[in-house]
Amino acid sequence: MPDIGIISSTIAAGVLLGGILGLTALGLSIVLGVMRLVNLAHGDFLVVGAYAGLFFLQFSGIDPVLGLPVVALLLGGLSIPLYRFLLAPLADRGAEAQMMTMFAVSIILENIFILVFSADTRSIARDYATYPLTLGPVTVPLIYLIGFAISVTVILVVHWLVSSTAFGRDLRASAADAQAAATLGVDVKRVQMLTFALGAACAGVGGTLIGAAFQFSPSSGGPYLLNSLAVVVLGGLGNVLGALVGGVVLGALQSVGGLTLGDGYRDVVGMALFLLVLAFRPEGFLAQGRT
Amino acid sequence: MNARVGFSIEVAALVIAFFVLWFLPDVTGDYWLQLGFRICIYLTLAHGWNLMAGSAGLVSLGTSCFVGLGAYVAVESLNGFGLPLPLVLVLCGVAGGLLAVLVSPALFRLRGLYFTVGTLALSELLRLLMVNVSTFGGATGLFLQEDPPALPVLFRYALVVAVVASAAITLCARTRVSVIFRAVRDDEDAAAQMGVRPFRVKLGAFVLASALGAAAGGIQAVKLGAIEPYGMFGLQWAIDVLSMVIIGGVGLRLGPLIGALFVVILGELLADYPEAHIAAAGLILIVLIRFAPHGIVGFAAHWLSLKLLKSLKRVPA
Repeated sequence: MPDIGIISSTIAAGVLLGGILGLTALGLSIVLGVMRLVNLAHGDFLVVGAYAGLFFLQFSGIDPVLGLPVVALLLGGLSIPLYRFLLAPLADRGAEAQMMTMFAVSIILENIFILVFSADTRSIARDYATYPLTLGPVTVPLIYLIGFAISVTVILVVHWLVSSTAFGRDLRASAADAQAAATLGVDVKRVQMLTFALGAACAGVGGTLIGAAFQFSPSSGGPYLLNSLAVVVLGGLGNVLGALVGGVVLGALQSVGGLTLGDGYRDVVGMALFLLVLAFRPEGFLAQGRT
Repeated sequence: MNARVGFSIEVAALVIAFFVLWFLPDVTGDYWLQLGFRICIYLTLAHGWNLMAGSAGLVSLGTSCFVGLGAYVAVESLNGFGLPLPLVLVLCGVAGGLLAVLVSPALFRLRGLYFTVGTLALSELLRLLMVNVSTFGGATGLFLQEDPPALPVLFRYALVVAVVASAAITLCARTRVSVIFRAVRDDEDAAAQMGVRPFRVKLGAFVLASALGAAAGGIQAVKLGAIEPYGMFGLQWAIDVLSMVIIGGVGLRLGPLIGALFVVILGELLADYPEAHIAAAGLILIVLIRFAPHGIVGFAAHWLSLKLLKSLKRVPA
């Protein structure tokens, strides 16, 4: 039986990490809510974010945490042509065509990463990242706390954007009933494009944070996507604050699973939980989630 | 064309193809047999995928669940019990069907996109379990204790599996079953109103495709002689099979065959650049989804019928 310090530290680390997981899943969730699109390239967007953070550090020497707005703008900007030229033309062809297109984008991105950046595992190394932070019996790496704080901030900003602005009103209308929203004068295509860009920007920030907390490689996209999907079904589709809750729950359970069953079982816990929720409560634990 | 005539033509074509290809090992070398083996495996998987997606509306990313399961069942039963290979392949098929039945209550609650996501998660879960559970060799996997049969023998086994798959699909497509499939795909609720049971129909397609996939995985494992979870439960299986069917033409009878030929040949041409090969397949997918939603076969049929129409018009009345 491990001592109380290890147990409490593990759970604390899981919860903090869960905040970051919530942010990595946020983009997937709002795109699903507004566009009814399971963005199968979402994991690769996160990997793009991680590489962007890494190269931003290497070329500018500026700390990637300070460069996060740049990464967000970059990802958001890159995603607009993706929406405009690949997704928008398929809008009236049903959800499958768009999903398959993003699947193709995903395999293209992954193989471009391998060709351009090699298959090496990398990490965004910062001295302070592994600096241990101790509070009573709890010890966690500093980067977890930084990542958690940034993630919660971004999620709250997005929540404010969605619940209290004119854009958010259009977004919620489009998510509830795109046709009715269009009849009432909402430019649904524009809303979808901005939602897609917002989702990609969040993925950029989340990807950099994940890249700073862990190692990543060109093929990390698949596991990232699956973890994000688990968070989304836990928190409810399109539910912004739900993503945070889902992330924290998943992070804590993964840590507990890793501690009791062995480290290899961390992701097993996530996937099993995901399938169980899908089977028994497909609308998520926070039902009636509104965007 | 009379439905019965069409059925007879298809069966005849299948029988002829089977007998011609059966003697392929006598006239060609190893390179072509390797290629033929791969096409047979992929054709089997693509037929199953096409049946699910094209006829029952189930888009799966879980091909590897069943390929991997078949592979492990085959190696375990050959090593543990020394069963004859044909029996092993049947066993793989049964195991695949059982797994499909087992997971269907969870997966079928998920309509449309969520089914896709569920199959993706299932394949990841199985892979992670195989990596972590040491009974099945963990991350290193399992080795076949006996030497695998020679390539010509393996090719004939794969050919039989592919022909069985094609025959099963022919039966599904040329009988009343196809109408029921289409009704469920186009409008599940309306079909239920008309007395069709969507759950059973979808389950039937899922079980058949899974059994075929597991048998294909079994013969693939015997050929490899050593299996490990990353390869046998890898997403690559789903990527390949999905690309084949979409490139060939979803829901079309010739789609899987043309798609499998196309992707395998593309892979041969770009054999020295595996990353470029997959990226190229992705690009082709995007272009086809956008401009030719029914794939190469659909595009060709459309173009041919247009030409036919024009030539008919040119005939003076």
